[in-house]
Amino acid sequence: MTEILQYVHKDGLFHRLHPATKILFIVVVALVSLLSLDIGFLVVVLAALLALALAGSVLREVLQQLTLILAMSVIFILITLITLPSGEVLGYLLPGGFLPITTGALFAGVLLTLRFAILIIAFQIFVITTQPRDLVNTLEQMKVPVDYNLMFLIALRFIPTLQLEAKKIHEAQLARGYNPGTGFIGRIKSVAPVMIPLVSNSLSRANVLGLTIDMRGYRTRARTPLRERRFQSVDWMAIVLLVVALAIFVYTSFFPGPG
Amino acid sequence: MIELEGVSYAYPRTGRDAISGISLFVRPGECIMITGPSGSGKTTLCMAAAGILEHEYGGEKTGKVTLFGKNVQDYQGISDISGHVGMVFDDPEAQLLFTTVEEELLSALERRGLSPEEVKTRLDAVMEITHLTSLRNRAPHALSGGQKQRVVLAATLVLGTDILILDEPTAELDERGTDSIISILRDLKARGKTIILTEHKFARFRDLVDRLVVLEEGRIRSMGPPDSISGDDYVKGVIYPDFTGIRDFSIPALPSDRPPLLTTRDLEFMYGEVSALRGVNLSIQAGEFIAIVGENGSGKTTLIKHFIGLLRPTRGEVIVDGKDSKNSSVADLAHSVGLVFQNPDHMFFADTVEEEIAFGIDNLGIPDKDTVMEKVLQETGLTHTRSLYPRWLSRGERQRLAIACVLAMQPRVIILDEPTTGLDGREAREIMELLKHLQRDGRTIVMVTHSRQIAGECADRIITMEEGRIISDTARGA
Repeated sequence: MTEILQYVHKDGLFHRLHPATKILFIVVVALVSLLSLDIGFLVVVLAALLALALAGSVLREVLQQLTLILAMSVIFILITLITLPSGEVLGYLLPGGFLPITTGALFAGVLLTLRFAILIIAFQIFVITTQPRDLVNTLEQMKVPVDYNLMFLIALRFIPTLQLEAKKIHEAQLARGYNPGTGFIGRIKSVAPVMIPLVSNSLSRANVLGLTIDMRGYRTRARTPLRERRFQSVDWMAIVLLVVALAIFVYTSFFPGPG
Repeated sequence: MIELEGVSYAYPRTGRDAISGISLFVRPGECIMITGPSGSGKTTLCMAAAGILEHEYGGEKTGKVTLFGKNVQDYQGISDISGHVGMVFDDPEAQLLFTTVEEELLSALERRGLSPEEVKTRLDAVMEITHLTSLRNRAPHALSGGQKQRVVLAATLVLGTDILILDEPTAELDERGTDSIISILRDLKARGKTIILTEHKFARFRDLVDRLVVLEEGRIRSMGPPDSISGDDYVKGVIYPDFTGIRDFSIPALPSDRPPLLTTRDLEFMYGEVSALRGVNLSIQAGEFIAIVGENGSGKTTLIKHFIGLLRPTRGEVIVDGKDSKNSSVADLAHSVGLVFQNPDHMFFADTVEEEIAFGIDNLGIPDKDTVMEKVLQETGLTHTRSLYPRWLSRGERQRLAIACVLAMQPRVIILDEPTTGLDGREAREIMELLKHLQRDGRTIVMVTHSRQIAGECADRIITMEEGRIISDTARGA
């Protein structure tokens, strides 16, 4: 079973960056991908991200998201075909002239997919290269309330646990002759035997989790500044590059030069 | 150090005392074991002693808990108390929050107001005591059960408290894991820590325990040094699982040339790159009572999942009741094989015990639903719980309900994974008696267990597994 969104212990380019630098990285990438309407440019950004992932030796982990991204892209394009028809008609989804495939809708769908892929990959790089403890400490220094930090930390931490738990429950119910259902309605109807134990077990686990957090004093005590991560030259370089890239992007996109 | 005076407590909206009139004085350096049937208040008592009930739970409280001469009410909350008492809960998974072992320990250490040098010294010392040094960069949630338990224990030890409270630290561990926890606790006791723990495996902890507290329905039934109270029949039933007579159940003799019910031929199975079964040849006949033993990771659970088609052979074949598992669905095989998983809470989703049992009956279309239901409820001793919510039952009752759910599907073979986890001696015996009754009624029983005692005293044939192979297969009297 592959684990989603878990920190991977390595010594790569991104692992050496300060969490705050990586947060800036995400913000810049998000801004650029959300503001740009140029598909060619977004493809370049995506390729750059993958190149960075390769340089940071986390490309394999990042590519695990490929199925999710492909699935979402199909859904996005279907939705835009149905809801945003515009431009030339290239053909029809259903025979008899139903659901036209238009250039405008295709453009919007591809644009959404690219943005989505870029955001997912940037976030993925951030999460798998940052130790949760560093993240919590950095967010704390940025004056984010500790309860919100812990929420974020726990949400990430329990993804693989829930995956495993869901698998065990599914197997237990299969052994009782449970039919996972076919078709959309069937699947919805057959959710209860898996979801109810999953949610009930998680709730009782949440109780122990809360007690543990308080008994270890995460919420109340001041921290010993043990391993203060300092900004290093590589951080300053990254920050300068990010700011310059953002500036160039803003300048070329919003202040078209003469001619 | 800790003093409880006439402590009673009822959880909100239950209207029934979970513990009642408990008075207990814990001396420095002492090791106290709290034991009793499931649902007798062991965990509640731990939480009362740790001040958790006072500060974190509503409900009805009476009596007084004093910690280091100060009423627990006067502490500012459990993070204040946690400077004096460390508690390890029974679910390690819920107590592991971080992504490496070292980070798990550091994150707790960094909040104690120590200097960076002290943090480093204490971290190294605790990792040494709990044998975690070589695992420091591993992800805690991906470790084995025994290793996880050690990380959770270490994360509590780094707090440096004099008192440690442990709720069922070895319940889900095999022999090796249990041994390692015991040796760590022995070491801690020698260093002067006061230890309170709840356990079912008294025999294993015997030389560690100074005082035994035996609970019965929320009250202290008996308390004192183990030797002075173990004469009492109730205490004996709880602390010493006793299976005498189980094997002498009269079982109708069956012809020895009957065809095998479960067969594996050169069964191999790989999880990705990892070889879990390396050539298993096994034949089980109808009416046998078999125990499969072996350490965690020896392939026991992987093997039994093949009998109901949850896993398919990588190589070799598995024949179940004449059906090749390759060409049969899990639902097909469920007509012949019932599998009871280790944790009953992975299956309960219905609102009542009856509905829970009906799920399997309806799925397989078993005829005579009402008759089957009555028979199963009666066989498992759950008739009085039929309209209760399954998750409110005690662990012993939940285990029996899990068996009932499978039994109702009328399988010829019942396979159980660790059916006595978290049960006291008497409850474990009840489960074994139930299985023996089922065998007498013509069913075949296969159980996976860590306990050599249960295997040796209950089963007719013991199969031992190691590293994906069967290393011994012996029948009683053979």
